[in-house]
Amino acid sequence: MSISMVMWFGLMLTVSTAWVVWYLKRPLNDNGLDLQHSNIELGRQKKAELQNDLDQGLIDKEQFDQAQEEISNTLALELEQANITTANDTRISSWIWLVIVLLLPVLSIYMYQQLTTFSPVSKAAKIDLPPLSLEQSVVKIKQHLIDNPEDVEALAVLGMSYYELGQTKKSLQTYEKAYQLDPKNPRLLVEYASTIVSANKDQFTDQSVVLIKQALEIEPNSPDALYLAGMFAVSAQDFVLAKGLWNKALNALPEGSQDRQALISILDELKRVESGQVDHTITINVSISNEILAARSADDYLMVYVKAAKGRPMPIAIQKLKLKDFNGQIVLSDMNSVMPTKLLSQHGDVLVVARLSKTGSAMSQKDDLQVVSGVVSVTDNPEITLNLN
Amino acid sequence: MLIEIGHFALILALVFALLQVVLPTLGLIKGNFALIQLSRPMLWMQFFWLLVSFAILMNAFVIDDFSVKYVASNSNTDLPSIFKMSAVWGAHEGSLLLWALILAGWSVAVSIFSKRIPNGVLNHILIVLGLISIGFLLFLLITSNPFERLDIVPLQGRELNPLLQDVGLIIHPPMLYMGYVGLAIPFAFVLSSLIRGQLDSTWLRWSRPWTLIAWAFLTFGITLGSWWAYYELGWGGWWFWDPVENASFMPWLVATALVHSLSVSEKRGAFKHWTVLLAISGFSLSLLGTFLVRSGILTSVHSFAADPARGVFILGFLILVIGGSLVLYAWRAPLMRSNNTFSWLSKESGLLINNILLVAAMFSVFLGTLYPLLLDSLGLGKISVGAPYFDAVFVPIMIPAVIAMVVAPFLRWKKDSLSRVIPLVKSIWLGVATLFVASFFITDNKFVLFAVFLFTWIVLHSLSLLVNRMRQNGSLGLAFIGMILAHIGIAVFLLGATVTTQLGIEKDIKMEIDKPVTIEGYKFIFKGVDSFKHQNYQGHKGRVEVYYDDDLIANLNPEKRQYVTGMPMTEAAIDPSLTRDIYIALGESLEGNAWSLRIYYKPLIRWIWLGGLLISLGALLAAFDRRYRAVQRLRVKS
Repeated sequence: MSISMVMWFGLMLTVSTAWVVWYLKRPLNDNGLDLQHSNIELGRQKKAELQNDLDQGLIDKEQFDQAQEEISNTLALELEQANITTANDTRISSWIWLVIVLLLPVLSIYMYQQLTTFSPVSKAAKIDLPPLSLEQSVVKIKQHLIDNPEDVEALAVLGMSYYELGQTKKSLQTYEKAYQLDPKNPRLLVEYASTIVSANKDQFTDQSVVLIKQALEIEPNSPDALYLAGMFAVSAQDFVLAKGLWNKALNALPEGSQDRQALISILDELKRVESGQVDHTITINVSISNEILAARSADDYLMVYVKAAKGRPMPIAIQKLKLKDFNGQIVLSDMNSVMPTKLLSQHGDVLVVARLSKTGSAMSQKDDLQVVSGVVSVTDNPEITLNLN
Repeated sequence: MLIEIGHFALILALVFALLQVVLPTLGLIKGNFALIQLSRPMLWMQFFWLLVSFAILMNAFVIDDFSVKYVASNSNTDLPSIFKMSAVWGAHEGSLLLWALILAGWSVAVSIFSKRIPNGVLNHILIVLGLISIGFLLFLLITSNPFERLDIVPLQGRELNPLLQDVGLIIHPPMLYMGYVGLAIPFAFVLSSLIRGQLDSTWLRWSRPWTLIAWAFLTFGITLGSWWAYYELGWGGWWFWDPVENASFMPWLVATALVHSLSVSEKRGAFKHWTVLLAISGFSLSLLGTFLVRSGILTSVHSFAADPARGVFILGFLILVIGGSLVLYAWRAPLMRSNNTFSWLSKESGLLINNILLVAAMFSVFLGTLYPLLLDSLGLGKISVGAPYFDAVFVPIMIPAVIAMVVAPFLRWKKDSLSRVIPLVKSIWLGVATLFVASFFITDNKFVLFAVFLFTWIVLHSLSLLVNRMRQNGSLGLAFIGMILAHIGIAVFLLGATVTTQLGIEKDIKMEIDKPVTIEGYKFIFKGVDSFKHQNYQGHKGRVEVYYDDDLIANLNPEKRQYVTGMPMTEAAIDPSLTRDIYIALGESLEGNAWSLRIYYKPLIRWIWLGGLLISLGALLAAFDRRYRAVQRLRVKS
């Protein structure tokens, strides 16, 4: 706490304590109103209002008499309930003085200290704010490092920022500095290794491998380290090792996390690579005549899909979009497959259909326009043109 | 450093709230007047430090002090100054600080303007208010500190939600909080009476004006919120049965029942159980509304916080307040006995029906709001309860309440007769006649016709009551005028809501330049869209000319904005009038120079808010009736 802050707090406490002491020594006057008399007076007012209602003809005499009696009964009940206690004593014993005069500052300062540490100040990185520009980040972090030259977290962030700015050499130098300060930080080791690999056009150097191994020695279940180690294994064509490492990483990741989903996709991809499976695509250029375009609305739907040349007519892969969003070409791939267990790449001979529909319904409607291609083979990655005219 | 002073001031406010409770309580136990009378000075000091704290936080916004996490999360340098100031209550922590400040403000008002309440009663009330303040200040300081600092200060803050960058935000939350928090006053009156074991005429008489003022603010705040949502959200709606809207509506329904119940209790000494329970319920629903919004259970435009720790704190506070109040009620229930009977046809029975229906309506809203949350929390799936449920359940309950509102003012206290009442309500035939006329010349929509009938009947009856009273009395009390105004306000609201809902038109249209479109006799000509850039946003502005009978009546400019942080916003263009609104929202760019626009025709929509204003005004007038201003001729105790 700075001296000026202490002075201000002292002033606030002095004013507060003085206020309490003042009103202890010069108590506010009682307004002299008594509850019983208040109720009696209100009873009188109600009777006066009742008389007024009778005079205006709002009630008759019988009702007036009954209501008057009720007012009296209510008042009697209220007076019966009243417990009159008087508080005449105005002396304050010395212990109360002591408690009040000491309690206020002690309690206030204690609470300030407790609440200030209880709600810790947050690091900027944890705040959900729009990120500073990278250049701004670099400036701010460098300023921070002047006073805190051994802040490893800040050095790591600086290293990443330099890399994003394309200043690879500075990035590596910064990471090296952080590494020298904290060679046992597994997250730092992985980041440093990852940067070295990226700087070397995705090639794993000896230094990067050493760093990954160090990270795994310190934290054998680190998902990041395991992932990077798996990538290294893949680069060395050791798919079995890669699968083992990535499955281990999968066990360390929480259910539903995005990283977990990404890793599952990578493992699927690895499976396909191992089995020799490759993604196939079909490129479809759809040409729509001017007459049709004029007759149709921009909100009409264009559906382009692939179905088996022989067998079930249901689409294998499909894209559906509004005419206004169509730029002339559609590429269908495994990503557009209707069923994940029957990918486009797993098929051979297919037909390609382009349908223009007002409703976008899966079922063909009366005024839909459709064109079907000849048989094409998926494995050829064909490019075809369909004319809607 | 100023921020730390603000933080310390908030802590001092809590300490004084503690002193406001502890010292007078000690004085009551020991019979020491010097300690008892400290309730008021301790309260005043609590208010002072809260004011300092609030002013410092507002200053932090104005000077762009992004070292404060709350400021950095809700403001940036491009924000216009007026919105920097109102951003103080634009999110969780600041709005809670406003809550605490307003509670202290209300308490100060009670302490100053209650010269006719015996100090013994007043001190108890202030102790109860102090307890509530302690709860909220602890909540603020422990879970929602607005003065939390950032280690690394960002150069730029995030932006205030564009939906809240509007003049509506400047007024709506403070007004709503005045109502919400104001319900703590009748609650404190009731609780102090229960604690003292004295449920007498004094607390009944003096709690009513405070209840009326709180109810007026709540009505005004809700009306303002509805108006703001209408023109700001770009959907043309005025009420969405949003959970947070419902959270303010439920205490309003209960407060409406309370002001009526208080009149019975004050005049006739009856309905004390109702009055006590309604006062407890009203404030409890305010706290519940706070819990619903702050805990993160809901997601809507109002939900600022998403921290379960906060929800747990409020839930605990809620249980303590409601549970404690009900225990006190159960303990003191025998004291509320009354031998004052009334006939089935009497003003009391009319107001009893009113209470029952309003509480039933509240429960219908309560169920619709909380049932989805309950199902979700039990893992039984997610359901959505919206307008169809509320329209089907709430509206049929309110119709008999409106009818009762017409008849009850004519009834006598205690006992009346059909032979006297029936001729007085004969203007129902005028209402029926109006209905037939409307069916020929205006519409055949049965809901609108029914609303026209009710409107005519209510207005005619209210005016006839006024005329009768003037003939008999020559002068009118503010309470009576307030009642008439509020009832007419209900009628105005009812007609506006029904007509706009039933006869309003909404069309999504593709508009091409200079190609007119006609809706309900209005011709719309789209003139194109221009790009623009403003202080903290850029976007597109449409130009639409509106003609009626070939006369140009409006040039409307709906906008689509993109704020600097990427948040998109629609600013509707409105041509307002008392008979109808023309409302246009800009859609998407289409091929060529065409754009999609949404055009609304909204007949009598402004009557909705006019009705709300009349109700608020009526309540305020009633609060200043001579009964509450007359000097009590009391004998000072010797």
